Amino acid sequence: MQDVMEATGSARPAHVKPDQFVDFDIYAPPGEGKSFYEGWQLLHAQGVPDVVWTPRNEGHWIVTRNDLIDEVFADHTRFSSRVILLPKSAGEQHNLIPTTLDPPEHRPYRSLLNSSFSPRAVGGIEAQIRDVAAGLVEAVRLDGQCNFTTAYAEILPIKVFMTMFGLPLEDSQQLKTWSDATTRADGTISMADALARIAAYLQPFLDARKGKDGDDMLSRIVNGKIGDRALSDVEALQLALQVLIAGLDTVVNFLGFTFLFLAQNPAHRQRLVEDPDLIPTAIEELVRRFPIVTIGREVVTDMEYHGAQLKKGEMIVTATVLGGLDPTVNPDPMKVDFDRVGARHVSFGTGPHKCPGAHLARTEISISIEEWLKRIPVFELAAGADVRVMGGIAATVNAVPLVWDPATTRAV
Amino acid sequence: MSLKINFQSASGATQVVDVAGGLTLMEAAVRGGIEEIAAECGGGISCATCHVYIPESWRELTGVPSTMEDELLEIVPHRQPGSRLSCQIKLTDRMDGLVVGLPVV
Repeated sequence: MQDVMEATGSARPAHVKPDQFVDFDIYAPPGEGKSFYEGWQLLHAQGVPDVVWTPRNEGHWIVTRNDLIDEVFADHTRFSSRVILLPKSAGEQHNLIPTTLDPPEHRPYRSLLNSSFSPRAVGGIEAQIRDVAAGLVEAVRLDGQCNFTTAYAEILPIKVFMTMFGLPLEDSQQLKTWSDATTRADGTISMADALARIAAYLQPFLDARKGKDGDDMLSRIVNGKIGDRALSDVEALQLALQVLIAGLDTVVNFLGFTFLFLAQNPAHRQRLVEDPDLIPTAIEELVRRFPIVTIGREVVTDMEYHGAQLKKGEMIVTATVLGGLDPTVNPDPMKVDFDRVGARHVSFGTGPHKCPGAHLARTEISISIEEWLKRIPVFELAAGADVRVMGGIAATVNAVPLVWDPATTRAV
Repeated sequence: MSLKINFQSASGATQVVDVAGGLTLMEAAVRGGIEEIAAECGGGISCATCHVYIPESWRELTGVPSTMEDELLEIVPHRQPGSRLSCQIKLTDRMDGLVVGLPVV
């Protein structure tokens, strides 16, 4: 722990106790991409307080236990969503409804999204999701290899988004390119430019659906009401954009972690091949073991919180990875155990902002595992694969190159 | 090993859902295809469509509603002393055998 705990040279703020002061970069945990989850676990080491302060990313608190993360997510009276991204100066620029609103303002916007994500609504597009999934697996089945990330994981969620919003599937790649530019700029398009292009792309669809009774998600948003007034075009675009951003990277990378695990753990994989009914339970364990999202809340008022002196305006980080991997709630947390009973996690968040797309995400993952294992039951990670996990608002897996013997596959 | 949750319809029929835990009661109901639980907001305490009744004998384990949950329970039809939003009840291994009353929808 010494290497993590030693100071960076940045001064420790006077209100931070010496044992609460750690050197931890939430976007680059120790391990250089080779041991991402182990890197985070250093904050669960003996003697590390439940609330710590790191000078990185402009300085902020981190809650290290599952139950405290749950509490911070759920209590908007003490921990506001006004700013949720770190570092705070960048987070201040990020305003998306309903994510950066607190109750009660938050609720009517959230309500506009809810019905489209309900189990009933997701059930209505399940067959379409399954068609896309089956087509993607069939396209690579006889090749005996693929980069799972680009051949499957990056394609399915954007097509699901297009389906839910009633947008042309052939525009998927274009919209994804712009969406990616809003979350991880690669220099080719600026974030502002990407947002403007998405807005320009969506505007004709918004106009065409206004006042009509379409039951796609975009129609429901554009015809939505906040109290007695109609939603503005800017609000409608923000809601659409929020759904787009929140539903892509998270699913892309969770699919990556899932198939990386299944490639490297043939016994676990074989159980799911033999007993597909176990897949929902297995997904829950994988959601616990491979949390993706690291965000935060803004401290509302000066307070004492589990031994820490929080000051109004400071950021407190809720890293979902520290929930499911907390050994005080999940014994032997690094072990993937499909028979684990009573596991705890906060991978979808808790409280008013709990991921409305959680059921959709579980459905996408479940269909992916089912359709893949039906056709390609035996596969492994390509020899010499250089798999790296990078930290971020959403943790990312760079590539998951898979290989298999086409003779072991099945046409369905 | 798993947790057995007994969902009792207003008609008296019982459906048993097996889950391994780590879920909320709402998520277990959705997993089990319980029709009375629409669960529209996915657990964000913003829709009150996952309303259930917890029998008195189980209330010590399931706890009491938070302020936000309590406000939403004001809008459910037929609120009773055991009324809860099932999305706010986190299943633990001590809840094996839990009995849950379902509303008329």
